[in-house]
Amino acid sequence: MITDFEFRKQIMDFHVGSDLIKYCYQCSRCADNCPVTKVTTDFYGTTGYNPRGNILQALLGYKDMIFSADDLVIWGCTVCDTCDEVCPQNIELTEIFTLLKNMSIEQGRGPEFIYSQAKAIFENAKAIPSQPAIERRREQLGLPAVAAPDVNELQTLLKNIGADKKLK
Amino acid sequence: MTEYKLFEGCTIGNRIPFIEAASRKVFEKVGIETSQAPFTCCPDPTGMKSFDNNSWLAIGARNLCLAEAEGKDILSLCNGCANTLRGVQHQLKHDSLKKQKINEQLAKIGKEFKGTINVKHFVDELKDNLDKVRGAITKPLSGLKVAVHPGCHYMRPAEWMEADDPMRPENLKKIVAESGATVVDYEEMVLCCGSAVTNAYEEHGLANFKIKMDSIKNSGADVICVNCPACFQQFDTRQRDLGKKYETDYDIPVLYLTELLSLAMGVSPDEIGLKFHRTRMKSQLEKLGL
Ligand code: SF4
Ligand code: SF4
Repeated sequence: MITDFEFRKQIMDFHVGSDLIKYCYQCSRCADNCPVTKVTTDFYGTTGYNPRGNILQALLGYKDMIFSADDLVIWGCTVCDTCDEVCPQNIELTEIFTLLKNMSIEQGRGPEFIYSQAKAIFENAKAIPSQPAIERRREQLGLPAVAAPDVNELQTLLKNIGADKKLK
Repeated sequence: MTEYKLFEGCTIGNRIPFIEAASRKVFEKVGIETSQAPFTCCPDPTGMKSFDNNSWLAIGARNLCLAEAEGKDILSLCNGCANTLRGVQHQLKHDSLKKQKINEQLAKIGKEFKGTINVKHFVDELKDNLDKVRGAITKPLSGLKVAVHPGCHYMRPAEWMEADDPMRPENLKKIVAESGATVVDYEEMVLCCGSAVTNAYEEHGLANFKIKMDSIKNSGADVICVNCPACFQQFDTRQRDLGKKYETDYDIPVLYLTELLSLAMGVSPDEIGLKFHRTRMKSQLEKLGL
């Protein structure tokens, strides 16, 4: 196992609650309460999705280990924020998992629906674009039209950040 | 009464607008004033945030800027939008470097994030006006057994959602109880509906959803009450897939909190487009004499 110090630094810098992640003592409360761990892991916890394992590997800078594994290791998380709540060390685990997901996207990995949503937002400024049938339904229901967002401004913002290059 | 900028979100606005119709009816009866703004996608805290946190921050901050320009707080109809807008605000307020970087980008489109407005979930607004909600009930839903599902992002992470107890939420129960319906407890109330993981790994998502639905079924509930469009979609559209996969009949209809309140406030099912639900609730409506 090789420690990637650059990766480790990124992890440390990303967490809004500063360096709290250092204080993880592997109690496993996160994994014990994670709904995805529950439905993907065998009795010994050797397979499936495991937030405790992700925190350990991130903390040790084992980038290779995380990214050479099945994508489930990163994308299994359903972002229910339960782990954030039960962690006795107040680590916001999902912040770290967000960074891991962002890195996975940079490698061109990640589930289809994430890419299609990002593309829809880039093209329409909405994850779900407006469609004529729904516009009619809104009218029937006595609703005003949705206020049209400024797509150009959003595209400028995303292009300047460089997010358009990550789209598929 | 203060006027809010209504943040209906992509799912409600552009896919299931009948929920917006019900919400507006309830706001009218309770005296909550809103106006529109050309908001973009919030964007999705389980989608766009996972794609690129910086883009998520920038788009979210831009939406906050639109409300800041009018000096009005945002009222969100959706757990995801409330979570994003509050989360963006939290990150930018607690990380000056991030704030500086995002503001450099916003400056290029003539905007600046200041952090001067508040973002409120509609459940909290109703909870703060509970007496007015009570006063508007004209057709109590007596005898209707309701399993509540507050969802995850309404109250977690508690540190910056500041809405309810993160693991033992009470607000939704309290509001539903005002409708005259009976809230039934069930073991898995705080369990996630699994919307995000179902999109990525359907098999695992449905395995989680089964735990949730079995628990609701055992409670004897007539309907499920939710306050998030993503949860609504999970319950309304995926129950059939679940039933097929596990050869079980679930068929428990789902009502948005504002739909349930609309019915209790004397609004007819037609006015709020209840017929557009996938899970049918004919027998439940008959039970209520509607
Ligand atoms: S709950 Fe917190 S301290 Fe315990 S293993 Fe998980 S991250 Fe570490
Ligand atoms: S946020 Fe992700 S890792 Fe944490 S408990 Fe939920 S599914 Fe598990």
